[in-house]
Amino acid sequence: MTDTYTQFVNSGFGRSLAKQLGLPAPVPLRRHTKGGPLCDGPVAVIGEGEHVSDIVQLLLDHGIDTSTDAETYGGVVFDMSDARSPRDLAHMRENGADIVKRLGRNARIVVVGTDPDLLDAPAEVATQRALDGFVRSLAKELRSGATANLVYAPVEHNRPAVRSAVEFFLSGRSAFVDGQHVRLDENTPGVNLSADEPLAGKVAVVTGAARGIGAAIVEVLARDGATVVGVDVPAAQDALAKVVNRARGTSLALDVTAPDAGERILQHCHKRHGGFDIVVHNAGITRDKLFVNMSAEKWDQVMAVNLESILQLNEVFLGDEGLGTDGRVICLSSQSGFAGNRGQTNYSATKAGVIGLVDTTADIAADRGITVNAVAPGLIETEMTGRMPFATREVARRLSSLQQGGDPVDVAEAIAWLAQPASGAITGQTLRVCGQNFIGA
Amino acid sequence: MGDLTVLPEPPSLPREFARALLTFGRDGVDGEIPGTLVQTTTTVDRDRLMDHQRLCGFKVNDTLPPTYPHLLGFPLQVHLMGSADFPLPMLGMVHVSNEITVHRELHVDDELTLQVGAEAMRPHAKGVTVDLVAAVTVAGELAWESRSTYLHRCTPPSDAEDPDPVEAAMPEPPAVPAGPAAAVWKLPADLGRRYAGVAGDINPIHLHPWTAKAMGFPRAIAHGMWTYSRTLAALGADGIGTSRVWFRKPVLLPGRVALHVAEDHRTAALASPKDPDRIHLVLTHQAL
Amino acid sequence: MTNMPRKVAIVGGNRTPFARSNTAYRRASNQDLLTAALDGLIARFGLAGKRLGQVTAGAVMKHSRDFNLTRESVLATALDPATPGIDIQMACGTGLEAATTVANKIALGQIDAGVAGGSDTTSDAPIAVNEGLRRVLLDLGAAKTAAQRAKALAGLRPGHISPVLPATDEPRTGLSMGEHMARTALAFDVTRAEQDAIAAASHQKLAAAYERGFFDDLITPYLGLTQDNNLRPDSNAEKLAGLRTVFGDPETATMTAGNSTPLTDGASTVLLASTEWAEEHNLDPLAWFVDAETAAVDFVHGDEGLLMAPTHAVPRLLARHDLGLDDFDRVEIHEAFAATVACTLKAWESDTYCRDTLGLDGALGSIDPEKINVNGSSLAAGHPFAATGGRILAATAKELNELKQREGGTRRALISICAAGGQGVAAIVEA
Repeated sequence: MTDTYTQFVNSGFGRSLAKQLGLPAPVPLRRHTKGGPLCDGPVAVIGEGEHVSDIVQLLLDHGIDTSTDAETYGGVVFDMSDARSPRDLAHMRENGADIVKRLGRNARIVVVGTDPDLLDAPAEVATQRALDGFVRSLAKELRSGATANLVYAPVEHNRPAVRSAVEFFLSGRSAFVDGQHVRLDENTPGVNLSADEPLAGKVAVVTGAARGIGAAIVEVLARDGATVVGVDVPAAQDALAKVVNRARGTSLALDVTAPDAGERILQHCHKRHGGFDIVVHNAGITRDKLFVNMSAEKWDQVMAVNLESILQLNEVFLGDEGLGTDGRVICLSSQSGFAGNRGQTNYSATKAGVIGLVDTTADIAADRGITVNAVAPGLIETEMTGRMPFATREVARRLSSLQQGGDPVDVAEAIAWLAQPASGAITGQTLRVCGQNFIGA
Repeated sequence: MGDLTVLPEPPSLPREFARALLTFGRDGVDGEIPGTLVQTTTTVDRDRLMDHQRLCGFKVNDTLPPTYPHLLGFPLQVHLMGSADFPLPMLGMVHVSNEITVHRELHVDDELTLQVGAEAMRPHAKGVTVDLVAAVTVAGELAWESRSTYLHRCTPPSDAEDPDPVEAAMPEPPAVPAGPAAAVWKLPADLGRRYAGVAGDINPIHLHPWTAKAMGFPRAIAHGMWTYSRTLAALGADGIGTSRVWFRKPVLLPGRVALHVAEDHRTAALASPKDPDRIHLVLTHQAL
Repeated sequence: MTNMPRKVAIVGGNRTPFARSNTAYRRASNQDLLTAALDGLIARFGLAGKRLGQVTAGAVMKHSRDFNLTRESVLATALDPATPGIDIQMACGTGLEAATTVANKIALGQIDAGVAGGSDTTSDAPIAVNEGLRRVLLDLGAAKTAAQRAKALAGLRPGHISPVLPATDEPRTGLSMGEHMARTALAFDVTRAEQDAIAAASHQKLAAAYERGFFDDLITPYLGLTQDNNLRPDSNAEKLAGLRTVFGDPETATMTAGNSTPLTDGASTVLLASTEWAEEHNLDPLAWFVDAETAAVDFVHGDEGLLMAPTHAVPRLLARHDLGLDDFDRVEIHEAFAATVACTLKAWESDTYCRDTLGLDGALGSIDPEKINVNGSSLAAGHPFAATGGRILAATAKELNELKQREGGTRRALISICAAGGQGVAAIVEA
């Protein structure tokens, strides 16, 4: 899927206009297709860390060439997990710069480091922390749909967790995740039963499932093998029926703010599907107004749906009858939760609240083997939308390293990855799916 | 360059057509496509939507078929092509291909912001083509986009110098699915008039045998967007995803067309039931 | 096969909101409506891709092109295309009769699960050419020579242009259903006040049911409608008393637009299954479809009321199960008109009627008004002919289920639906 701007600037007129405005030219992003290759072209593995052999094995398993004498590369993985002094970082420049120069379209750079929070010596912490700045900057230098992301591994070897994270960042599933990092903990994650359908055998609940991102989440989770329970308000049941029937799931009509919502979801899942493994708190609303003009109703509605309902539902889902081992809770935050957005004091407050919520809830859920994370889609311009002239808005859209807007599918892909059994070493984090949007980056 | 014309509401199609008729005789193959973008905001009329869904074979409900926003953007296309600085005559242009991407499904109660622009001419074996691109945003999010390629028949530009190394907007169509027809549709003589009534596209080649004859066709021909819509509906391809259509021989009305569908349900073609080599369109659809 | 007949579970239902004629669904066809109702049912019970024993449904006002209405609707849904679709028609009794057919097949072990439904729209009603023109066209079709064709065309008359609109008039009496009802109401001395009270209560009870979310898992919105648009929550007897009478002799007329059902569009579906199938699919039955009885009366030659057939069906059904009216916790009497409910109750309370007309020893008995149509009925919801049975059956099953959960014990409901042609259907539901 390509957006109009992408086509626009690739056209004669668009190109000249883009040049005049100093606009970069985005390329159509490579997205996941069932049975498609992991990467376009060979992937070089650089470094001497302990993960190198596993990463090479991962690439071999996918039939990806790992030779270092190719014309163009589909990606490069740096294993810098053993870097302990700033001097060690030079290894990336010395051995990687030439390969980065030869990256093809939609290439991937993945850096594997060691979580600095787990290190003590100032030099070690500084070295590993440096990787974050390196990756963010490199991501901004990349062109043609290429991304760079960072995987922080624990000190203790967690091979399956590293494999799963590297695989995600190399794949088309992470098309719009750029300049980000994830931290892996020491917990041995579960095993995906099937490569094609990593969520096979899982039951997933998606709130706000009738439209937009919610509908895309249902579709992607079902594609990955999950049985999906779509939840939305009674008035949205016609749209919801279309979504769940396509996904061969079931619909549940309820308002997530109702006092018995959690119990009813629980009952439905236990009765109909013998339990549930994944919860995606996607239901959310916007009621934009400048703070000084904000009505109590607008404020309260947004709080109730976007934040209070999640707290209330989690009480039930993390209770005795709730999620079992390997359970997954995934919330929707937003870039405006990081960066704020004019006219969205209420909305941004809830979305920042979500970031705190997953951080703390992760600790509470940890001993039961349940992970709690959030995904933060890129900023969506509000208030001015629809009245903003095409060019201005399109320029705003270009304020991201990937030089284009994301698709609901991109958010859904990140969620589906966090929901996998193999993602069990990631918890308490908020993963941004924003194409490295410069606002609040 | 890069002007944005914001219209308070979708322009009246008959008036735009009248204006566009005045472009008759233009042949600015060497001219430049204006960079103007036209934008307007609109809501969906449920009655018209339902008429469209029924006429094209989609389910009658509150979700917009993938081809529906095209019909909303069409007045803007005509507006653009009828503008003084548009180098080609609108009358007689042939719709040769189309690509539509649905990023998120549109609903009848969404407020749609439509933008339409034109892109550079490309040489074609039978003349030059021009692309009309359209996008729909809802609350600032890109929900839908389309690229319609129209052919202006003329002597292809002789100077082989490629004006711009633009990649072809559309890939080559896949092979026509083999095997017996999945369905044969009987298309009534008034199909063009009925679709024109819904879509507003009152190009005379679709309306009546006489008006079509005046334009050089033996009989009235079906709207390309109807054949596109009807084929998508037959595939059940009414959700998010990208579809592409390549129009070939026109469908004469009244008439019969045979639907051929590939095993993976992603490729389909319409052909003459009597002569399977006479292809009317080839279509692909890629869902998630 | 052993253990026949099997118990038949009412798993749940789904319907569209009902719309007054020529409003929200003015451009929707019977097939659109039935498909929409099925889509919601499929989503609610996770039936996508599943093959059911059959879907039986129908429409009363039906185009000839809709000969396979139900099958075409099935093909438009996510059900396994190997699910047969069967059309059935018994006027206002269509929905409940469809359920009876499906239930019987499940009871006999012929199928394990099926859907019963119905759809009607008077907005998209079939319009026929008048008889003269039809004759000319048929002759024209049969003509082989130019002379014959010319002769056939010569038969054309200007009057032929006027089309034949569908009507609810009884073909044998020429009287409308309302006029028939007015006669019966007069015979049973049903007052205007009684009727208006029934109508007001229907609106108030339906509004209350919506208010408490009763329909959240019984209805799927369609074309922008989220609840029945005939519903007037603020309806009361005073307002209704102000309406003009419409049927019967103006001297004695008591029936108004307010205490009669309006022409309505909509569709409903009910999922029925064997106990085993429900268990296998992790579905808890709401209630059980116990038995049904269909009856008809001679309203043409005899002096019976057109809509009084259920008064015959019910005592026969009760006798079969050795039950009395007292044995029911809920009673649903389809409100074709408020007078229908009043006449039916009066008939069963009357020694004379029960003895002379029904052949019983004496009055069948009376029913506590608190048990009747507790969530409102057709006067408030509207009455898309073939869809009413499914609406009542699903709502009754849910109501009984809630009652059982609240108060325990076996709970029983009686459903009574009158139909054009002097027919009627009654059924027993248990939870």
